[in-house]
Amino acid sequence: MNTIIIEGLSFSLPLFIIAIGGIYSEGSGITNLALEGLLGFGAFFGGLSYAVLSRSFTGDPTTLIYASLGFAMIGGALLALLHALMCIKFKANQVISGVVINMLSVALTAFLANQINASFFGQPSNKFLLEVFPKTTIPLLSNIPILGAVFTDFYTFELIIVIVALFMAYLLYKTPTGMHIRACGDNPHALAAAGGNVQKVRFWSVIASGALSGLGGMCFAYSISTTFSPNIYMGFGYLAIAAYIFGSWKIGPTFLACILFGFARSGGYVLVQKLKLPSSYGDLVLTLPYIVTLVLLLFFSSANKPPRALGEVYDQAKR
Amino acid sequence: MENLVEFRHITKRFPGIVANDDISLAVRKGEILAILGENGAGKSTLMSMLFGMYAPDEGELYVRGRQENITSPLVANSLNIGMVHQHFMLVENQTITENIIMGIEPKRRKFGLFPVVDLEASHEKVHQLSLNYQLEVNPRDKIEDVPVSTRQRVEILKMLYRNAEILIFDEPTAVLTPQEIESLLQTIKALRDGGKTIILITHKLDEIKRIADRCAILCKGKLVDVLDVATTSIQHMSALMVGRDVSFTLEKEEHERGAEVLRVENVSVLSLDHITTVDSVSFSVHEGEILAIAGVSGNGQVEIADAIAGLIPVKSGNIILSGNDITNASVRKRIEAGLSYIPEDRHAVGLILDFPLKENLCLKQYYRPPYSNERGILQHEAMAELGRSLIEEFDIRTSKGNDTLVRSMSGGNQQKAIIAREINLDSKLIIFVQPTRGLDVGAIESIHMRINKLRSEGKAILLISLELDEIMQLSDTILVMYNGKVQTIKRANELTKLQVGEYMMGVHVEKN
Repeated sequence: MNTIIIEGLSFSLPLFIIAIGGIYSEGSGITNLALEGLLGFGAFFGGLSYAVLSRSFTGDPTTLIYASLGFAMIGGALLALLHALMCIKFKANQVISGVVINMLSVALTAFLANQINASFFGQPSNKFLLEVFPKTTIPLLSNIPILGAVFTDFYTFELIIVIVALFMAYLLYKTPTGMHIRACGDNPHALAAAGGNVQKVRFWSVIASGALSGLGGMCFAYSISTTFSPNIYMGFGYLAIAAYIFGSWKIGPTFLACILFGFARSGGYVLVQKLKLPSSYGDLVLTLPYIVTLVLLLFFSSANKPPRALGEVYDQAKR
Repeated sequence: MENLVEFRHITKRFPGIVANDDISLAVRKGEILAILGENGAGKSTLMSMLFGMYAPDEGELYVRGRQENITSPLVANSLNIGMVHQHFMLVENQTITENIIMGIEPKRRKFGLFPVVDLEASHEKVHQLSLNYQLEVNPRDKIEDVPVSTRQRVEILKMLYRNAEILIFDEPTAVLTPQEIESLLQTIKALRDGGKTIILITHKLDEIKRIADRCAILCKGKLVDVLDVATTSIQHMSALMVGRDVSFTLEKEEHERGAEVLRVENVSVLSLDHITTVDSVSFSVHEGEILAIAGVSGNGQVEIADAIAGLIPVKSGNIILSGNDITNASVRKRIEAGLSYIPEDRHAVGLILDFPLKENLCLKQYYRPPYSNERGILQHEAMAELGRSLIEEFDIRTSKGNDTLVRSMSGGNQQKAIIAREINLDSKLIIFVQPTRGLDVGAIESIHMRINKLRSEGKAILLISLELDEIMQLSDTILVMYNGKVQTIKRANELTKLQVGEYMMGVHVEKN
């Protein structure tokens, strides 16, 4: 049971922060299928920063580990800038822009990782090696039966994600900024008539989605393989999209969806071990979150409500 | 009296037309000034400039005696100018309060640290405001859960919350039922009596007569006259607006009705929430007969029309068109059996707004020769031919003829396009749902004449309307619906307008 919770959370939380990124972008009315590409590019940028800085930096390596999260956010935001420019400034089709960014991200990171490794570090490889992310256990709380596992042996980035997620929820639901973002996704003309700047609100929402995806992607890189490699593109971005769709573009329900995906995955692994199945069945387990997605689709598709103005190009003249 | 706003020699051009041509007009403090004109006369454009949505090409705007450059709605707000748009500018998934305070949210600090929107205080403030002006709303309701009339009240409160002194209403009654219109007119009057200045854009003469102090008449972008409403007759105003005299009575020839075309037998319809909206309704329509269904909005009239047209399923009963049972037939089968349908909602059901006019005119025939050949390839020349002849015959006014995007056409011309398409099908039965809704006097007159002509040609016509005058003027037989049931069905000459009104309110219950 403990393993399910510990492993499940370490998968759910990065997924959750990426999904929040999606909620910001789509909540403001910009369709964002680019989460996959954004998380990968963020992880690439974070991994690169670690690889470069660790050569000259002599202090405590955990500092670099935390710094790499910040660089990952910058990397995600940079690629999101492209999506924002395409969708808002040039009024491109948002679906196409998202898909293209995903493909671009895979190809670009593979190319850059190879080139940089070959020319600067003198070793042909498409990976950046990382350190193991520090783990911690909270005394007392971890002694609670069952639930104690939540506070046991967790990556400290999980704590960072929870804090960032709480802040993003506060920003979206409690502040004028958040009200304006949600208004943009429902009826941008209403915000414009009230004196708001639709383009600006949407621009920063998309940038935020990039930064959050980058953070989530970097956490995946640490927890799953302790490297940045093209294997980061495993469809978690799409899973995050599924999560916020099940969560009806709301942060609270999206959290539950992410937990469900995470536990389905870690529960599957535990099951394979318990039944002493050959290790190749582990691959089957990897499909579990996606099968859960398909099953949930049957029940939730009709109930959820996307933002009304989602995907619509904002045109002041068209009312 | 003091002039609050002055338009001086305002000209505004759009590609292809002059929307406003050298207009000089003053708005006095504390009056209700009506801006009257046909669709496309330039009323909304003129007021949009006052609200900062467009900039004039020539001329100046004076507010409180000072020349102002109103470059955005924000500037208009700061000059205490507010506007209720024809299409509401509301965020549907937020509460009434959130909509009203948007852009000028009051804040407080949670735990003395985090700034948050002070919703509690805002709810209270909105509640007070709604009490003060007797505009009843529940601040905590979400917009998507409240009816159109409440949404309009929210728009008015939004202006008042921003301390607007000059309130512009753009065709505010177009979306309302008769009772709601009544209460809105009272509200507008009360606002005027409370010291606000009101500009009312409309083409409904009776509303102007009832509440406006003065009336500015626009015709084809030019200011024709500014009149004192109290001393001017409705006929005079409408003549100025259309640029000619409008006859308010229709010559109807007497003739016997012919064979039965449509028979509706005990039809019941359920809404999506499984509420019975049409309850066991029976009637029949004959050749050369106009059967009008009267009723207060939402009593099942539109649903019965949709059921006959095949847009919604019937729960029980039969619909028989020219001897064929079409109860469960596909929409295309119904059309081919001889049914034309002019729907209530032009935009959602009647037209594909982003298609060119010629394709919209061919929407019900495109799949058969001569518009498609036997291999299923569209024949654009045949479509264009059809388009040209219908544009000519029905006087559809457009900027680019066949290739005009329907979205860019005015409401009246969009309606003409639908009517042209449906009449061209040469069906036995033609259903008109609210055919003159939102149209100006000239357009209404031409549609009425068109319906009357179809009757003379022996078509069976089912007319559904909320306008009692329209029903009294056109119909041979009147059916009144109340709560989804038939209240009465009688020859038109056996009923007075007053009696129909009583049936509509459910005063008499007919015993069968």
